[in-house]
Amino acid sequence: MDTLSLWLLFILAGFGTFLIRLSFIELHGSTQKLLERSRNILALLPPAILAALCIPAIIFSHSSGGDVIDITQISAAVGAIIVSILSRNVFWPIATGMLILWLLRLVT
Amino acid sequence: MSFGNHRTQFWLGVRNLLPLVSGVLPFGLIAGAQGVSLGMTPETIMAMTLLFFAGSAQLAAYQLIQDNAPFVIILVTSIVVNLRFAIYSVTFAPLLAPLRKHQRWPIAYLLSDQVYGLCAIPEQMAKSDGERLWYLIGVASSMWLSWVLSVVAGVAVGASIPAEWSLEFTIPLAFLAMLVATITRPVMLVVAIISGSCAVLFQQLPYNSGFIVAIVAGVSVGLLMPDNQRTEPTKAHSEEKC
Repeated sequence: MDTLSLWLLFILAGFGTFLIRLSFIELHGSTQKLLERSRNILALLPPAILAALCIPAIIFSHSSGGDVIDITQISAAVGAIIVSILSRNVFWPIATGMLILWLLRLVT
Repeated sequence: MSFGNHRTQFWLGVRNLLPLVSGVLPFGLIAGAQGVSLGMTPETIMAMTLLFFAGSAQLAAYQLIQDNAPFVIILVTSIVVNLRFAIYSVTFAPLLAPLRKHQRWPIAYLLSDQVYGLCAIPEQMAKSDGERLWYLIGVASSMWLSWVLSVVAGVAVGASIPAEWSLEFTIPLAFLAMLVATITRPVMLVVAIISGSCAVLFQQLPYNSGFIVAIVAGVSVGLLMPDNQRTEPTKAHSEEKC
């Protein structure tokens, strides 16, 4: 992506994000009905988006050109899942996952 | 309501944010270093950081830029990832709506997971509006500063990190950890499994549309599940770190 499109992307996305943050503050008082109806969708979007973002990137490795199923990445992710169930901090699952990834790459 | 009391609340907010910096710092480092490894200039990365002020959206954009996804998909995703901010907007609307525009808009820009986590708890809700507002400003402004400085630090060290470290894998790991924190009810696990599987199955669809198909499929199945009827949507989000 060239620099101009990147900047356009960032400005538009930043503006959109700001509008979301501002939305209900600005429309205070007139939006309770709409909110009640969209509550279910708002609650389900985060797990759907996060899963769609990370699962393919974990299962497949792009490093060797094509999309290859990567067992080391999957193992690292399993370790990260276990740690994130145990700890509330997002940092430790990442650290554990990376450690497993490096160790397995050293061994194999 | 004295000015001294407002100042006390502001600094209380700053102090209460400090422990959370341990979660913000590694994220900011990753966000900065990843931008460098994608070949972006420091100015571009910092502009992105200031415009977004949303770590997960920034990482999502990186992931899709890496995947060579089309412009519109990246744009829509970066915004949709932030839909949870609508919940924060609702939560703080009674407090912020009466303010003047030049106060209301900057504070709206500063709303984040951490602000929600610290300011939307019963202990805070019990305070007077003036106290709550200054506490929120203390939390929000120190959160902003720690995020921006963390990304700057990430940009500074980013260039010196060797490619063999596969630092880009921290992005899916971060999303995975956030995903686990998000799953508070069985229906959300189902949504995640459906969406994740569809994302893998439809990966080859053109223009990254498989990504959108996966999200729609996951949310649709979730809406159809009987468990979804009793909702408590705001709880899950307070745990997210970025």
